Amino acid sequence: MDKQLPNEELMVKIAKGDEYAFQILVERHQTSLLNLIYRFLGGDRTKSQDLAQEVFLRVWQAARSYEAKAKFTTWLYRIVVNICLNELKASRRKKWLRFFQVDREEQGVGEEDFSGEEPSPEDQLLSKERSREITEALQRLPENQRMALVLKRYDDLSYAEIAGILNCSVSAVESLLVRAKKNLQEKLKIS
Amino acid sequence: MKCRSVQKKLSAYQDGELKPLEQEELSSHLLGCRSCRKEYEQLDWVWQTLGGLEEISPGPWFYPQLARKLKEPRKRGLLPTLQHVFRFIGAPAIASIILVIGLAAGSYLGSNLARRDLFPSQGIPVSDSQSGFFASMRVFDPAPPGTFAEGYLRMASYEESESR
Repeated sequence: MDKQLPNEELMVKIAKGDEYAFQILVERHQTSLLNLIYRFLGGDRTKSQDLAQEVFLRVWQAARSYEAKAKFTTWLYRIVVNICLNELKASRRKKWLRFFQVDREEQGVGEEDFSGEEPSPEDQLLSKERSREITEALQRLPENQRMALVLKRYDDLSYAEIAGILNCSVSAVESLLVRAKKNLQEKLKIS
Repeated sequence: MKCRSVQKKLSAYQDGELKPLEQEELSSHLLGCRSCRKEYEQLDWVWQTLGGLEEISPGPWFYPQLARKLKEPRKRGLLPTLQHVFRFIGAPAIASIILVIGLAAGSYLGSNLARRDLFPSQGIPVSDSQSGFFASMRVFDPAPPGTFAEGYLRMASYEESESR
């Protein structure tokens, strides 16, 4: 099968149960989806990987009902947004339960880095520290501002595409981004 | 172009979302205006800083693990289905439906049981106006006529008299 097939044609094959077409689609989008979730939810790799897999499972299940009305990536990112927002709701509920939790799972398990490069320990430390500061600043933004900002900054989507994903108007996206940038400017300066 | 309107459009300018003519106008304004340029530089600083956020790659097991999950049957018991229904139509809507069903069932059963003349009373003959007045006063009874409570009481008293 041609690996260059457009997403919509792959979806037609996936709807017929073609696992190889599904694998091509997953490999094409896994890194961008994973990073979108990772940045939006604030740096939990294991959780981000699980949620990215959940997104692809939904794609597999919804393939039969998929109609190429909108751009495929808009449809895909909508699933991501829904899953991320559900996850935030669930984690808020879990915060209540944490009061009663005796054995807490240790964080950092399965958090190996798979990038091939090996920067110096000092550089690694600095970049991790900076990354942590940015993540914290992002997490303090309201959900819709954060999602709009992540989609613009890291996925370089147009305002129209972001509006399609967040189900709002282009002018709403514009004002979300203005506010997000202002907020972030203050938060990053403070941190 | 005035500084105020320029500063409102700086974010869209940075994102390349303005029309070409506006984009050019803003560029030329920024060349000549120090305070607007400073505003833009701050925005740019935020944008560059965000670039410092690390990028992660999916592990080599990402697809194999996903393929395994595809073959697992989806767990969907009664509780998740109910949760899904609740999320879809909302708790207030469900509460209203239950309330309406309860009221309808109560009044149906009540009026049915009360209408059945199982226990003909040996009443004293009264005039129409008097009976109307007495009937209207009975709404203050613990079990007003035509309600489920009255039906239940009449049934209970009938069973009691039968057992004697």
